[in-house]
Amino acid sequence: MARFRELRSRWIIRKSSIFETGKIKMLKSAEVRLRIMSKLFACIISESANRDEAVLLSVAQNFSPRIERLDDGVLFDVSGLTRLIGDGKAIEQNIVKEMQRRNVAGKVSVAENAETAMLLARARGASELVNPIDEFTDLPLRQIDIGADTLNVFNDLGIHHVRDLLAVPTDELVKRYGREFERVVRTIRQKGDRCVVPNIKETDVSWSYELDFAVHNFEQLIFVVNRGFDQLFARVAYEGLSTEQIDITLNLRKKEAKFYEIKTSFPTLEKSFWLKLVNLRIALDPPESEIVSVRVIAHFAKPRPDQRGLYAVSRPEPESLLLTVNKLKKLVGETEVGVPVLLNQRLARPFALDGTRTPSSALSDAASRTHVEKSSTLYAASGVCSTRRPRSVIAFNYFRPMIRASVVVRDGRLVHLKTRAFRGSVVEYSGVWRANSRWWERPWSVEEWDVEVENNGLYRLRFARQEWFLVGEYD
Amino acid sequence: MAHLSLVKSLARLKEEQQHSDEIVLDRFGIALTRGAITEFAGAASSGKTSVALSLLAKLTAFGEICAVVDSCGGFDAYSAVLAGVELENLLWIKCDGDVEKAFMSADYLVQAKGFGCIWLNLNGLPENKLRLVPKTYWFRYRTRIKETPTLLVVTSPESVTGSASQHGFEMTRERAIWSGTGRFKLLRNLEIKMYSRKQFYGEVSRTEIEMDYSQI
Repeated sequence: MARFRELRSRWIIRKSSIFETGKIKMLKSAEVRLRIMSKLFACIISESANRDEAVLLSVAQNFSPRIERLDDGVLFDVSGLTRLIGDGKAIEQNIVKEMQRRNVAGKVSVAENAETAMLLARARGASELVNPIDEFTDLPLRQIDIGADTLNVFNDLGIHHVRDLLAVPTDELVKRYGREFERVVRTIRQKGDRCVVPNIKETDVSWSYELDFAVHNFEQLIFVVNRGFDQLFARVAYEGLSTEQIDITLNLRKKEAKFYEIKTSFPTLEKSFWLKLVNLRIALDPPESEIVSVRVIAHFAKPRPDQRGLYAVSRPEPESLLLTVNKLKKLVGETEVGVPVLLNQRLARPFALDGTRTPSSALSDAASRTHVEKSSTLYAASGVCSTRRPRSVIAFNYFRPMIRASVVVRDGRLVHLKTRAFRGSVVEYSGVWRANSRWWERPWSVEEWDVEVENNGLYRLRFARQEWFLVGEYD
Repeated sequence: MAHLSLVKSLARLKEEQQHSDEIVLDRFGIALTRGAITEFAGAASSGKTSVALSLLAKLTAFGEICAVVDSCGGFDAYSAVLAGVELENLLWIKCDGDVEKAFMSADYLVQAKGFGCIWLNLNGLPENKLRLVPKTYWFRYRTRIKETPTLLVVTSPESVTGSASQHGFEMTRERAIWSGTGRFKLLRNLEIKMYSRKQFYGEVSRTEIEMDYSQI
């Protein structure tokens, strides 16, 4: 019996010791879990936050993907870094080191509460590391968001710092200053519930590819880039956005990288369109050396609405128009395709071609006035509204190059005109018309006449440098 | 019976022949059909360019995008503005006297579909070069634009499109009207006459186009 008792007591002891050990282990693991799960926030405040915004964001991105841009710095969530780096102090030191490495000045603070981290960082000296708990209780009350009247009352009562206010019972404060003051109490007790609101949005997505073997021609890369576009556009579409700018960087062997910025006037994710456009643009200015790698960046843009007006006029699809313009540029030259623009100069040819623009489908003033009223009947039946009369003016058609002519002048009158193609008597003429863009500085550079040649057309005749030319015809 | 599907039904042919969409140029007394080729042929100063610009003015004013294939760089944007063309809506292609480039450009434009009007200006090109252009080009254009809202306008000193064009107008200048006397004269109007090559018994249309000396 005694033996049984002894054995039983041993078993109980062993059981209890096992239980105790397990309990301790459980407690320890819970503590670790709590430590891991506890929130930690870091805040960097810098006087040059606007100027060094990119650097500050880059520093923050080294520690966390959850970043909020503040007016005077950045706030980011560093929870979970305790296992990787250490406690808050160690994380703070790491952030300071990173800032020093990047040569950016600022005040850093790490705390278990976002508001506390912000308050401490704002109150601190530059890159100064102190005990955050002591430091927080020493904070002057003016640092905390308390109304001016209340702050004056506290000053009169001799309450200047957080620790002074902590000594006052919460109930008394809430009773006196209302329920809204609970927010201040939560802040000073470091129990604020402010979260990090990530407001840094990506503005682009990128894709890059290193080639095993260098290629001479971009066209050889089309299949590879096609796959890249698939991935890029899937990522852009995932964000619910579109793109109207694609940057392509071709890294070349023994040469500097070639950069292409390809923009459209409309957002689109049509892969075949982008491929054709990229191919056309690169064909206009091909890389000088073999391509070893390619990097593509698609910039985000808001997608365009699909639906056009019910009575929308006929015009090519934007993608089609842009591709056609680029094809034409490849065919006739980059400067030979565009929109005509008038020049504000008194030149012989006061207009030019703007090769950087494409037609925009704008309504004329008169048309826009009537468009709203008559749009329902404009294109419904007859195609175009016939209420607006086109002006039938005598148009001019230039000869390029000008046609050399010989003119017989008798008694100051133009009598006969002869060119390589035709000859005839001058029936009527008007002029002389003088033109020069800067006539106040230079003498008249151009003298012109309008002449009607017998059994032929009406021409503009020019006398310049002691020679006669036909500039063009009235048609 | 499968081989019969190559033959168009009568109903379909009638449908194709219908003038579904016409552009009326009141001043010149003509109506032009979309999805077809229209040709204006005539000697110097017969008003071809004026008609083409009137057409562009009418279409661009309502936001339609038009294109000018300028074979010889003769296009005058100043005249276009005087005629009422919205330059913002106009695509200008300069081909620098190259016939092949001009026809290739027109081909690209026709393929783009959706242009209100494509004006292929062949004025100034040598006749021998124009004769070398295969007729098949015109039929290719005709097929391409058949079911589009595009109107392909061709201006040239002589008729070049043949039976590929739906409308063909021969233009001549009857007389030029001058005002003033002695040394102080001004060109005022051109009286032009146009008749359709396609409608043998069609009426001859006469109109006046005036000179605009206003400054822009």
